[in-house]
Amino acid sequence: MTALGAGGYSHRVHLRLFIVLLTCAVAGAQPLKNPFPGDAGAAEGGHLVFRIYCSPCHGIRAQGGRGPDLTRGVYPHGDRDEDLFRTISSGLPGTEMAGLGGELGDENVWRIVTYLRTIARHDTTDVPGDRAAGAKLFWGKGACGQCHLVNGKGGHLGPELTKIGRERSLEYLKQSVIEPNKDVTPGYATITVVRRDGTKLVGVERGYDNFSVQILDSGENYHSFLRNDVASVKREFRSLMPDNYGRLFTPVEMDDLLAYLTSLRGAEGKQ
Amino acid sequence: MRRLVLLFVVIIAAWAATTVTEQQLRDAQGDPATWLTYGKNYRGWRYSDLSEINTATVSRLATQWISQTGVDGSHETTPLVFGGIMFITGPSNHASALDLLTGKTLWQYHKAPPSGLNLCCGQPNRGFAALGDKLFKVNVEATLVALDARTGAVLWEKQIADHKKGFSATGAPLVIKGKVLVGMAGAEFGTRGFIDAYDANTGERLWRFYTVAAQGEPGGDTWAGDSWQRGGGSTWITGTYDPELNLTYWGTGNPGPGLDGEGRQGDNLYTCSVVALDADTGKLKWYYQFTPHDTHDWDSIADPVLIDLMVKGRKVKAVVQADRNGFFYAIDRASGKLLHARPYTKIDWATGIGADGRPVMVPGKEPSDEGTRACPGLGGGHNWSATAYSPQTQLFYFHSTDGCALFYKQKQEYHEGQWYQASTDGALPNEPPAGSVVAVDPATGETKWKWEMVSPASAGMLATAGGLVFTGDGQGYFVALDARIGKPVWHFQTGGGIIAPPITYTLNGKQQIAIATGSSIMTFSLVK
Repeated sequence: MTALGAGGYSHRVHLRLFIVLLTCAVAGAQPLKNPFPGDAGAAEGGHLVFRIYCSPCHGIRAQGGRGPDLTRGVYPHGDRDEDLFRTISSGLPGTEMAGLGGELGDENVWRIVTYLRTIARHDTTDVPGDRAAGAKLFWGKGACGQCHLVNGKGGHLGPELTKIGRERSLEYLKQSVIEPNKDVTPGYATITVVRRDGTKLVGVERGYDNFSVQILDSGENYHSFLRNDVASVKREFRSLMPDNYGRLFTPVEMDDLLAYLTSLRGAEGKQ
Repeated sequence: MRRLVLLFVVIIAAWAATTVTEQQLRDAQGDPATWLTYGKNYRGWRYSDLSEINTATVSRLATQWISQTGVDGSHETTPLVFGGIMFITGPSNHASALDLLTGKTLWQYHKAPPSGLNLCCGQPNRGFAALGDKLFKVNVEATLVALDARTGAVLWEKQIADHKKGFSATGAPLVIKGKVLVGMAGAEFGTRGFIDAYDANTGERLWRFYTVAAQGEPGGDTWAGDSWQRGGGSTWITGTYDPELNLTYWGTGNPGPGLDGEGRQGDNLYTCSVVALDADTGKLKWYYQFTPHDTHDWDSIADPVLIDLMVKGRKVKAVVQADRNGFFYAIDRASGKLLHARPYTKIDWATGIGADGRPVMVPGKEPSDEGTRACPGLGGGHNWSATAYSPQTQLFYFHSTDGCALFYKQKQEYHEGQWYQASTDGALPNEPPAGSVVAVDPATGETKWKWEMVSPASAGMLATAGGLVFTGDGQGYFVALDARIGKPVWHFQTGGGIIAPPITYTLNGKQQIAIATGSSIMTFSLVK
């Protein structure tokens, strides 16, 4: 417990800073180690913390929702304990995954990691369908690539799918293809702006707050408006994705498409 | 020699200015130049008589200075202002004093929190209390510390409760007649809640009121078996005080475990209540329970604000609260008798409040393994963020989260110091809750206007004689609303999410507004 003065810099401060940086550098080289591997008590504790902090996005049974399915035994940002620890602790910039380390402390983060290990199914069930045929459908008949990015190729209107096979279960992916409006990915609502001259602009949400709105139109043009400058703004939790894929694809084609989607895993283990 | 005397006089004057007397605390509303206590006055109004910044001039409001605290985490502090200094607390046991003119840091305080703390909701802190030349704040590991307001030096520090058992502390203390009143947090860990009073000079504990009645005590029969020992009832938001009645009013949190009520059958007194305590002794004068046997985590810790109301032609000394359960309540603050209660947001768990003061329950709203939909969601309604009352408009202002959630429960064993909430809530697909600023006529409970927001906000409120209500949102907007109609009349993007209440004061006779945003403090005043 100290009352720090507001004094200026000194050589001693610089020296301390150097030592701290050196310590951090050395510490950074050390691999993180789970102190509770296989500990049932820690897993139970992790389960309780998971339900409070993680289930709102990952589902009460960790099977995914707004966030990835965490029961699959493979994870979007790395499969090692330390990958999971870093993801939970530091969050993922640019996503809704906030870092929880400061709030929960290291031990509780490790407890969550330990819990996740106990529910990992390592599902090896073969996905029916032909992955290569599915890729053709994705980029061809389905025109999915017009809106979705995969490995740097494709559009930007919809969520990126480069790692979707690690993030979502087969069931969730199937539902998303057939019923895209059932659970619209946060940040991808449809927004309609009516200008003062009566013209309308419809696009995908890129920003939405009390005083402004940002959208991407179907031509991937970015628009930003102050609410005071337009006649009206309407946000709807429906997707711009067509809802006819259940009819467009035959059952075999649907299996092929899902086989392709589940095969999209990004660079394994990389952030 | 004359110069020496003059210098001495200046030093003494400056020294004296960095002090707060009990009389000043009682008369805080009459001194708009300062901000001396959490709720501006003992009644918790968060209302200032300053009117230089008003509906006609607010368009000229501009930033004066920004002070970066350099401390990670959200700042929820209500700054105190006196003696030309602003005193702020930050997360993780940080605090500092800022020069009011420039925002320069005069001193800093930090105590590293112990490792391994079990906390429900991070390490926030909501502000200082002041008396004499001392400042009082809680540290997150459930201690109360007194600092020298002139230097930040620690004068004493006392343990409130054992953090290893799950206790923590986050709220601003309340000074009443030489005593420092504090609450606690940690109902999520099977703790038993209380409100404490400590001697401002020595830190000696003078009284404790348990918010969970023990077996054999009045109210103890509202808990099954020994469930009271882990009964929750946290007190994490600052209370208010009526000097005439010598009663202090505090809201109490939810019972524990939060979402599974099977093991604690009964009303679970005095959780989810407002309690009126004798300020000298801590003895319970009366209580009113908003949500008997709560299973939705609907703490009743919202500001208990003291307003004298005309109710059905009769002047009543009332305490009002926008409860997390979705109802706005007015209660006779001398007797504890309910005056009226009306919903201010969507509610589906009760059809109203009966003549006996108890909610008329809708069956089938209990949390379940598969999830039960109920409205409002787990956070309420109105949660903890600071409210405001304007005697000018005679309206009461607060934030509301408007929506529903799925409530889950899960059987859970108690382990000391570990999570003991017995599950949680879940979002409904494509139904994110909206937010609003609500203005209620406290004399009737009628909602007069709502400013609808795109998402819920946790910033506090400030009402002023300039006909304005100031607040903020999580996207960083600092906003002024017309207090009479709820229309935004000014806003500024601060660049950091706002979850703190604004304050106002004067500097060299000119009105200033201050707000914590992100990890910084910003001040505003009019430019020509």
